[in-house]
Amino acid sequence: MRSRELLVWVALALLAAGCGGGGVREKPYVDRLPLPPDTMTVTADEVGPHGGRFVVGATSSPKTFNPIMSNETSSNEILQHLFISLTDVDYRTQADIPMLARSWEVSPDGRTVTYHLRRGACFSDGRPITTADVLFSYDVVMDPTLHPSMQDALVMEVGGKRVAYTYSAPDSYTFVIRAPGPDALLLPHAANVRIVPRHVLEPAFRTGAFASRYTTATAPESLVTSGPWRLKSYLENQQTVLERNPWWFGVDARGRRLPYLDQIVFRVARDQDVAAQMFHAGELDGLDNVKPEDYPRYEADARTKGFTLHDVGPSFNTNFVFFNLNRHRRAEQGRRAGDPRVEPHKFAWLGNRDFRRAVSHAIDRAAIIRGPFYGHGVKTWSIMTSGNPRWYDSTLTAPDFDPDRARAMLDGLGLRDRDGDGVREDAAGRPVSFTLLYNSDNKLRESIAALLQDDLARVGIRMIPTGLDFSTLVTRTRHDLQYEACLGGLGSAVPSDPGMGANFWKSTGITHYWDVRQPPGRPDTPAEARMNALFEEHVATHDLARRMATFHEMSQILNDECFVVWLPTVVLRLPVSSRFGNVQPSPMPHRILWNADRIFRRSAAGPG
Amino acid sequence: MRTFLLRRLLQSVPLLLGISALTFLLLQLAPGDFLSTMADNPQVSAESLEAMRRRFGLDQPWWVQYLVYLKNVFLHLDFGESFSRHQPVFQVLRGGLANTLLLAVAAAAVTWCLAIPLGVIAAVRQHGWPDRALSFLAFLWLSVPEVLSGLLLLWFAAATGWFPIGGMRDLDHELFGPLGRAADLLRHLALPALVVGLIPLASRMRQMRANLLDQLRLDYVTTARAKGLPEHRVLVRHALRNALNPLITLFGFTLGSLVSGSFVAETIFAWPGLGTLTLDAVRAQDQYLVMGSVLLASVVLIAGNLVADLMLAASDPRIRHE
Repeated sequence: MRSRELLVWVALALLAAGCGGGGVREKPYVDRLPLPPDTMTVTADEVGPHGGRFVVGATSSPKTFNPIMSNETSSNEILQHLFISLTDVDYRTQADIPMLARSWEVSPDGRTVTYHLRRGACFSDGRPITTADVLFSYDVVMDPTLHPSMQDALVMEVGGKRVAYTYSAPDSYTFVIRAPGPDALLLPHAANVRIVPRHVLEPAFRTGAFASRYTTATAPESLVTSGPWRLKSYLENQQTVLERNPWWFGVDARGRRLPYLDQIVFRVARDQDVAAQMFHAGELDGLDNVKPEDYPRYEADARTKGFTLHDVGPSFNTNFVFFNLNRHRRAEQGRRAGDPRVEPHKFAWLGNRDFRRAVSHAIDRAAIIRGPFYGHGVKTWSIMTSGNPRWYDSTLTAPDFDPDRARAMLDGLGLRDRDGDGVREDAAGRPVSFTLLYNSDNKLRESIAALLQDDLARVGIRMIPTGLDFSTLVTRTRHDLQYEACLGGLGSAVPSDPGMGANFWKSTGITHYWDVRQPPGRPDTPAEARMNALFEEHVATHDLARRMATFHEMSQILNDECFVVWLPTVVLRLPVSSRFGNVQPSPMPHRILWNADRIFRRSAAGPG
Repeated sequence: MRTFLLRRLLQSVPLLLGISALTFLLLQLAPGDFLSTMADNPQVSAESLEAMRRRFGLDQPWWVQYLVYLKNVFLHLDFGESFSRHQPVFQVLRGGLANTLLLAVAAAAVTWCLAIPLGVIAAVRQHGWPDRALSFLAFLWLSVPEVLSGLLLLWFAAATGWFPIGGMRDLDHELFGPLGRAADLLRHLALPALVVGLIPLASRMRQMRANLLDQLRLDYVTTARAKGLPEHRVLVRHALRNALNPLITLFGFTLGSLVSGSFVAETIFAWPGLGTLTLDAVRAQDQYLVMGSVLLASVVLIAGNLVADLMLAASDPRIRHE
């Protein structure tokens, strides 16, 4: 009996020790290092105190800390805090803003940019950042064997050939980059390259081991960063803790060094419901992804639980349906080159823009907004949603809900219900029926697909939604080209500029969803030929009015041809603890922490 | 004994070879590859995808890839690199395996520390109310899906604040003393171990009960009682010891399956184990990471069975491995 009692006491003591351990005292912030000559003054709504940490949920942990080899979101959203580029993008205005480069000049022909680097900018180990590091970072990105995917931003097609951008460094603080042709997005393209320390990584680069440097196994103290933050600790599938880079050159309006927060923490919560629980329990300070059906609950709890449900506005992500308009490029499988990939009798209507317009007319978008979006959605008619103040174009027109018109158009195509079963048939009696693929992990798309099925049934089209896992879906729609229709979507690039979507707009692109990788110079339709030309013009001029006009025209062609059938976009609302100031969530990733260098904790008292 | 061990080790080589070949084939049969997801990003061109495919060797036919893999394994003990992490696979898997084993051991402790005494109580009080009540509760838990019981416990943690909601350590873990760290780990471990550990409880408890009832009916028990031994001695020294034998074999099997048995709980409680890692790797089609993870799980399973055999020999003098 006595030993059992002892056991209970030990257990209680352990529990108490565990609970009591939370009271960790925070050291007040003292800036011990001299400020560089060229500081960067960051404008923010409020000037805040130093200290505290912000904990945000993440769906998975980063796979690598190498900013040049990284390819996926969970790594990139952390790396954007650790490594900076020559310039950055202001998330509110989408304008290019200074970062490592304090200023720059664009040549009159729009092809050359001369950057002037900040003096006294340092890596997190105190070594100065000079053009030697910038040159090194560009060399790595342009390396033919490593071939990081960001190389694409610095290669331009000129006369059918891929030509790389050239760059040079006249002195330690001047860097020049030249595009092979005019490039409206020269600055964002150049900003794709994040600056890494040459003095740490050059030996590995020379021996071909660059890709396996700065992995998640690298000791945090030997990970030298150029950004406002450096790595404090990393635990696979648990959390990544960043702490301030004591050498950072950013200062607030009073000239005090940023960031305000001691730490930002990315905690892994794989399941959205679990993340919500953690937020309610105070273990997370903000959620960057909330289901619209939960908005009312957050709204009700906001006041009592001490958080703010921020209205972020319409997402930059789009949803749309596209049809398989791909063709065989050479004679194979008993088909001739130029034959459609789908069955010829289906291509007879899928390939007809009036059919696609009829489909668009059949879709009740208001019902989708009421249903899966719980009222928090907006209609979208372009790759740039109404959440994007810089590129939203309200004058675009597209076939909206009009089922009578849809029926009339289908009648006009000779597709009638000949046997009275509710489904139309073509002249040979074959039913107008197709399958629609969607990503089965995406519950929102699943419920949209169900609504589309009903809408189309009402005008006499049989559509069968089929959920597939994501990589199967991508393989079928981009490589095997074995599908009839697909419900997909596009995320947002940073900046969210139509010019970033070359692979979407151009007929040779791999994300030219409806008809991918068409032979260069020989687009399948005159409409796509025109879109190619407009896109070339769109990215070749710095004249914003001209860019807007070309964007409008190519978007209108896309809508007139109905290459994609647009669906509504969700309106984002994100809960963030009210203890933090300067929180301004954005639709672009990372939605909450994009301005982490100026977010501050209001009351510095008490443990977090 | 030594020949027995050697034979078992040699047997496991073709077994692992077969597993690896099958895994590789299944990975190849799945549509797409590691680069498929990237093909959905408008910022990545077809040329870059091709370059990456070449760099990873994915442009080769699958059997060439597999032979190269085998060559590296046998000649250099090199199990390949994770595509997404640019690290040797076992460097990636090491931490996850340790965490999964920790959870597995804790769950096994929950199962057995409850199953044996409860099974004994149920057998001794056969058809009495403790027997019925215990069976009811154990089967109730068995029939609740792991996802639901996991979420229920999470909700309990959130409502009471007694336990953390997922994860393995507190954010301030590093700042605690050694005792505080152990306590922190225990607090995080408690709920997932309960969810995983209570599932096999019903069957283990019933097995314990049945085994003990069988033994209690045998002649040697009657003899022992007739000798005038006190009932608790009859039970613990004689009947229980014999009743445990079949359970020891079962214990060995569970050692192996526990590694795979906690995948769901790992996801719900954000436990950073092998399950989450493998799931991520399979979804991303990070093929050598999947291979490594499957081989690792197989080795644990084989080792678990071997341990079970050895334990059986240790507990039952009649069994000798030659």
